[in-house]
Amino acid sequence: MTNLLILAAKEAEPTGLDLILPAVDELVWGTISFAVVVFFMMKYALPKIRETIAAREDAIQEAKEAAESERSEAKRLFEEYKQQLGEARSEANRIIEESRGAAEQVRKDILAKSEKDAEAIVARAQEQIQAERQRTLQELQSQIADISIELAGKVVGRSIDAEAQREMVDAYISEVSGMGTNGGSNN
Amino acid sequence: MNLALELDVNHLFFWDPILFKDTPFELNRVSLLMIFGSLVCITFFFFASRGKSLVPKGMQTIGETAYLFVRDKIAIDVIGPEGVKYASYLTSLFFFIFFMNLMEIIPGINFPVTSRMAIPLLLAVLTYLIFNVVGFAKQGFHYVTGTLFPPGVPKPIYLLLTPIEFFSVFIIRPLTLAIRLLANMMAGHVLLTIFFLFTHEFLVTDFKLMTLPLGVLTAVVATVLIVFEMLVISIQAYIFTMLTAFYIAESIHGHGDADHDEEGTHPEPTREYEGLEESTAAA
Repeated sequence: MTNLLILAAKEAEPTGLDLILPAVDELVWGTISFAVVVFFMMKYALPKIRETIAAREDAIQEAKEAAESERSEAKRLFEEYKQQLGEARSEANRIIEESRGAAEQVRKDILAKSEKDAEAIVARAQEQIQAERQRTLQELQSQIADISIELAGKVVGRSIDAEAQREMVDAYISEVSGMGTNGGSNN
Repeated sequence: MNLALELDVNHLFFWDPILFKDTPFELNRVSLLMIFGSLVCITFFFFASRGKSLVPKGMQTIGETAYLFVRDKIAIDVIGPEGVKYASYLTSLFFFIFFMNLMEIIPGINFPVTSRMAIPLLLAVLTYLIFNVVGFAKQGFHYVTGTLFPPGVPKPIYLLLTPIEFFSVFIIRPLTLAIRLLANMMAGHVLLTIFFLFTHEFLVTDFKLMTLPLGVLTAVVATVLIVFEMLVISIQAYIFTMLTAFYIAESIHGHGDADHDEEGTHPEPTREYEGLEESTAAA
């Protein structure tokens, strides 16, 4: 039937209408051609192109994410270092403060000890002075007694009982010195 | 001026059988060129889809640009985010028509296969089937009522509008689609033939000093026409694909929405699509 139609169409001289009516054989080949092209494009070429585009988009996305995570990591490290630096700085300050305190303490201790030492030295010196004075006084006392006895013996012209005299003089001197001491304190 | 020139249009569009005479598979120059054009298209995309480089170059760039152009500028811009699904078919359609048209200006071939009704009609019928199937699939029977009785119109107007919509959508659409392509390529073919025939007549067969300027003029016009036809070839492929996408969009969104889309609420679909693409990338 189709063959007959084609035959009829071919045998007749083409008319103006044939220009806008499709020929059956051309329709058949056109359908085959388009089917092959569409099949190839939709099954092979375009999926591959889509894949490549998707791979590129993925790669860009990954690179972007990697860059972002690297940036946040760098920021985190920076913060960490900054914190560590701050800690180190405050630690140093603390150490300096401590040392300064310790030095102050040492200074105070040394000062206190020196003062104490000085006081002790002064006290000892005073004690020594006192003792010396005491000794000097006693010496003086005995010499005065001797000189007085000798003087008295010379004045009297005779020898007197030296021992008895000494006791008497000593008692006298003690009396005088006691008066002297009292008089001194009054001054 | 006596021109020994007879132009029989039939010689431009009808060709004698070469193989399988008197069968449905009869091969003539047109069928052979269809096969040739398909092979060129396939070869082109075979090489264009081979590259897997992250930084595309050469054929890979062309292939990707071609696909992205149809996907973003036709499928998504017209249909919306859903258009991605139709991008593959629309790309195939665009480049099939383009390569079939292109033969109009290829030296030695000089015949656009689309100036014969077979391919335009076939593609128009396919478009017709697709947009009707999509319409029924997306809207059910409301597709027909929504198309024939567009909402927001005073009732008496339906008397006028419904027959017009019926003819324009369900009868004339595939015909206008097919005839637009056919007529454009036919006209281009005839135009080029006439100017090249004149040029040949004036400069070769019937060379005279007097007609030399005329021959030069027709040669120049023919050359300019070739450039013009390059434009027509691309534009016709674009229009056919664009209208197919537009009809699909109408079937998906209904009559009013599709018009709305076309008038330029582009930012929204694009934004939606960006989200879609991000989620795809994330997946």
